Amino acid sequence: MSAPLRRLQQAPRHLLVCEKGHARHERSRHAAHVRDHAYNCRVSVLIPECGVLPQVLKSAVADLGEYYVVRGLSVHQLVAHEFVESFVRKGSCYALAYNTRIDQDNTAALLPTGKLILSVDKDTYEELGLQGRPSRYSGKKPMRYIITIDLTDSSFHPDGKKHKRVLWALKEKKPLEFDFLLAWYNSGAEGSTLMSYFSKNQIQALKPKVTFSTLRDLQCPVLQSNELQGKPEESCSTEELFEWLGAVLNQVNLDNVSSSFLSTYCCPQPNTIVDQAFLCTITGFIIPEKIIQLLEQLCCYFGEPKLAQWLTLTVHGFADSPVSWRENEHGFHKGGENLYNFVIFRNLDYWLQMALGTNDDCPP
Amino acid sequence: MEGVLYDGLPREAAKELRLQPQGSEEARAFVSAFLKRSMPKKKDEAIRDALTRKAVVLEHRCARRKKPKRRKTKTFTARQRRELRLFEIEPEQQRYELFLPLHELWKQYIRDLCYGLKPDAQPQMVQSKLLKADLHGAVVTVTKSKCPSYVGITGIILQEFKHVFKIITKDNKLKVVPKINNVFRLETDGFISYIYGSKFQLRASERSAKKFKLKGTIDL
Repeated sequence: MSAPLRRLQQAPRHLLVCEKGHARHERSRHAAHVRDHAYNCRVSVLIPECGVLPQVLKSAVADLGEYYVVRGLSVHQLVAHEFVESFVRKGSCYALAYNTRIDQDNTAALLPTGKLILSVDKDTYEELGLQGRPSRYSGKKPMRYIITIDLTDSSFHPDGKKHKRVLWALKEKKPLEFDFLLAWYNSGAEGSTLMSYFSKNQIQALKPKVTFSTLRDLQCPVLQSNELQGKPEESCSTEELFEWLGAVLNQVNLDNVSSSFLSTYCCPQPNTIVDQAFLCTITGFIIPEKIIQLLEQLCCYFGEPKLAQWLTLTVHGFADSPVSWRENEHGFHKGGENLYNFVIFRNLDYWLQMALGTNDDCPP
Repeated sequence: MEGVLYDGLPREAAKELRLQPQGSEEARAFVSAFLKRSMPKKKDEAIRDALTRKAVVLEHRCARRKKPKRRKTKTFTARQRRELRLFEIEPEQQRYELFLPLHELWKQYIRDLCYGLKPDAQPQMVQSKLLKADLHGAVVTVTKSKCPSYVGITGIILQEFKHVFKIITKDNKLKVVPKINNVFRLETDGFISYIYGSKFQLRASERSAKKFKLKGTIDL
């Protein structure tokens, strides 16, 4: 077989990290993992043996907050002292450049920790004049550079040399402008909102889109919470569950009918058939704090006795985001997946699976 | 010479070695008798020849005449030139205002070079003149650089060496900027030129005589 054909048949390098824990354990890191993954574009909840929206989810789904889309925002406005004081220092501010490709164009992202990440190509880096480091996923001749600017640094005050240089580079030397997705979360005290701050730019407030659907006669694998690897006749392993979940969320037929040429995938054994399963999908720029609230409500779901043995919460990150978890670099090779999946059992044990693509660092 | 060969052994050495020293006459007689016995076929003259000292020439080298070293004038070596510090500018004299007249002179020089620098002059002509022109006194900005800290340095070129520019900035700082991997922006009366430093690694005096060829890439 020739080399190109062989390469087509090989799956690109991907990484799946599986973790097990208990939601009410004091050292459980489920909230920390959710908080570290800053940019989420889709959340799906699958609850077997459930036909309608459960009571516990109603409030969580209604209170998802809103996010903003700003067109033509220059990056130097995010570095301006006013913005840093009003939004970055008070609460968590999330910003991500929209409609840019991580492997071709320049991208910018603002993390809630106050770090501004610019992922630029070689020519822009040489013209911009800000110190950065080459990306870990370029070859011998780096084509991509990552510049990290800490906006909450004590040496980053308006009279400092650093601030002046950054402002000069982003304003006069090489102005960078993107469409941004913005979100701000502050617990407690109200400040000015993003809407009023960016009223001069074309800012638009949007709410995340929520859809519900009920799946009938679904084959679900049998899982045991303390068996990550799965026992041969008794339960399925995490990888099998992950694949099955992907098939279900993409509406792939699990019958393996001989007339269908699209997929020969079957539900892993052992499995049971459930009458109905509830699928809720939320699309938009969703911040981790809301996901933590959703997770808490899902744990409360098992407060009353239910037929379901487990339920899943899947969160997808943006394919073009420059970071995956914390400040780990994220790249796009043949796919830009960076997603994680919680499986919560009746006894509040959980499985956490984190999946990444080729040009990615291992998640924490 | 023969006296040294047949000299008597000093008395102390003889006593140590427990030898009975012979007189010189006896020693000579002994040596000739010994040689005659060991080389029976050789004649007496041959034996006497062998005894005479002959110098053995180990290396044959003819003395080379040193060529007279031609020194036209008394020149200094590079080290002496550096020690003289003719080209150093003292800190007191590192002031931007002092060099503004130099910049005016340079602008005038370029205008004369390009026959006026009218707005409709051809850029190619201006560029070819600039290639051979002297750049001392030009106001230059670093636009692109492989090292981001060099980007943005603006000032008047004070000295041009083979690999670096010495530029004085408005803050009266003397900056040494390497030419390699840097792109400089030069502005003259509305004509903006970009100098790719990697191709410009020549002394100013040599550049006026060099023909520039398109070789390699201008990518940094």
